[in-house]
Amino acid sequence: MDSSRRMKRMGTSVRRMGTSVRQMSTCGQLVLQDRRIAYAITDRYLKVVEVGGAVPEVLIREGVVDEADDGRTPVRYIREGDDHIRRDDPRTWLGRSLPELVPDLVGSEDALADVLAGKLPRLELCWASREPDAGGATYLTMVDLPYRDQQGRIAGIIHIVQDVTDAGLMVRQLVQNRNELRLLRDRLAEQNLELAVANAELRRLDEIKSTFISVAAHELRTPLAPLRGYLEVLLDEEIGHLNDEQREYLAVVEESARRLMALASNLLDVTRIEAGRVELVLRPADLEALVGTAVAEYGPQWEARSQHLTLCAAPDLPPALCDEMRALQIIGNLLSNASKYTPEGGAIRVSLALAQEEGFLQVSVSDSGVGIPPEDQPNVFTRFFRARTAILTRADGAGLGLCIARPLVEQHGGRIWFESEPGQGSTFHVTFPIADRPAPDLSA
Amino acid sequence: MTQINPIRMTISKKVCLLGDFAVGKTSLVRRFVYDLFSDKYISTIGVKVSRKTVVVPRAHDLVELTMMLWDLGGSEEFDQMRASYLRGSSGAVLVCDLTRPDTLERLRTYTGELLSVCPRVRMTLAANKCDLTDQQRLTLVEVEAFAGELGAPFYVTSARTGEEVESLFRQLGQLLVEPGGGASRGV
Repeated sequence: MDSSRRMKRMGTSVRRMGTSVRQMSTCGQLVLQDRRIAYAITDRYLKVVEVGGAVPEVLIREGVVDEADDGRTPVRYIREGDDHIRRDDPRTWLGRSLPELVPDLVGSEDALADVLAGKLPRLELCWASREPDAGGATYLTMVDLPYRDQQGRIAGIIHIVQDVTDAGLMVRQLVQNRNELRLLRDRLAEQNLELAVANAELRRLDEIKSTFISVAAHELRTPLAPLRGYLEVLLDEEIGHLNDEQREYLAVVEESARRLMALASNLLDVTRIEAGRVELVLRPADLEALVGTAVAEYGPQWEARSQHLTLCAAPDLPPALCDEMRALQIIGNLLSNASKYTPEGGAIRVSLALAQEEGFLQVSVSDSGVGIPPEDQPNVFTRFFRARTAILTRADGAGLGLCIARPLVEQHGGRIWFESEPGQGSTFHVTFPIADRPAPDLSA
Repeated sequence: MTQINPIRMTISKKVCLLGDFAVGKTSLVRRFVYDLFSDKYISTIGVKVSRKTVVVPRAHDLVELTMMLWDLGGSEEFDQMRASYLRGSSGAVLVCDLTRPDTLERLRTYTGELLSVCPRVRMTLAANKCDLTDQQRLTLVEVEAFAGELGAPFYVTSARTGEEVESLFRQLGQLLVEPGGGASRGV
């Protein structure tokens, strides 16, 4: 058969498919289940149709089919690499089955047979990927449809391959992003779980510690009560006269017992606050009177250190809404600290006024001590924390006073803060709500 | 001494790789087919078909088996298509990730789908990423129990190091050439 006849026949085959095959195309023949199949490949599609009648010995041709699809188009060979569906020479396809030529169809023989038998309308394979040698990826969608002759009988299979690389790459990127997010989410969930477990363990240990501190503080305080009672009897000379030396020694014992009692009480307060077991009894109270009581209570402390205290109260202040005992404790802690960190002979100033924040009274306690180094300031309210200056000046204390004061102030609805510069002293401020405003919601 | 005859038969079988996303299905195929590994994770969408021919013994013969390896995308986006991909599979490699316990649980779903489409399919199970020893969350007891339920041999694999990858696929190949080994016929 001469080339023009073969070309014409090939063009006929393409026309019989009833499709317009444009752009660069390849046509040829292969055999599927003893049926002779002609095919046409464009750069976008591969189609397989059966050729009726006698089959010439050589039908493999590559060619360009023009718009007119008239079978008179010139022939040209497809260059290596133009066809990403198959790389080998199409002339080798003769006599081979479709699954041999299209590996994706291995295992689909029964389904192809069903298509040929009219039992299955179509066989579709989406997103089949190839990795060309040049790199990257190609995505194809393959569809196998029955090819019907002019009488409407199924005469073969049309195997359509559509290059969907552009869409495939976008879908892959989308899926990739989602998968990476899922992996991150899973990792995050796992880490959260580990943190929750660690947190639960820390809470358990913290509870054990709090229980221990609470029990220890109780056990310390219990024998202190009779100890202080008997000391008082002795110091009051109810059972006999004391000489100066005895009185001096007993005073030291009494002071130590007092400090021990204060420490035990503070430890108990810390555990109660942490456990949320502190309940306030809020009533209108004269804050100036409370400050006066606290000043009187700590009077001996600064008298012993020759410190000068100035109390400044604005006139006609309204009553504060507070728990008197706890307010006294808060102010007392501030006064005690001021005395501890102020050198002998130094000055302490206590002022009471309306706060800038409407509806609050403000108590400020200023000392003329060593101040708090900037690097220590963030930890001032941390329990058991002692600033370096406190250690250097050998000020006593366990680092609990401010740690107790802050939650108590906040439970009142107020604030506590400070200003300090090394060598310039410190001023601590606390606010309490004014009694004639509605009581804060403490349930939160 | 048993006489082994030269290759008498050449057959081709479709083998699917099934498992959750990022368990290492593509890496296992790359290791088996090309002996390559890359740390870079690239999601597989749809299916990527690779082929590898192995020679496996059957009785007194040797069989040349071409495994058409269908590496299926493990993302849930492809759940709807999976049944059509699975159709005609003779074998399956189920893959879970030893660092992600839920990937073993998800295999139950995949196996259910597979068996509903290919009831006679032969399976092996890969517990992958065994090289990540400090991140492992799955115990071999759990993997073995699941493999026992399926009646499938299991291998503790690493696509990174290549550990047991060849054995995993060769064992499946052996199952496929045994009488009644999978659904699809030779071509």
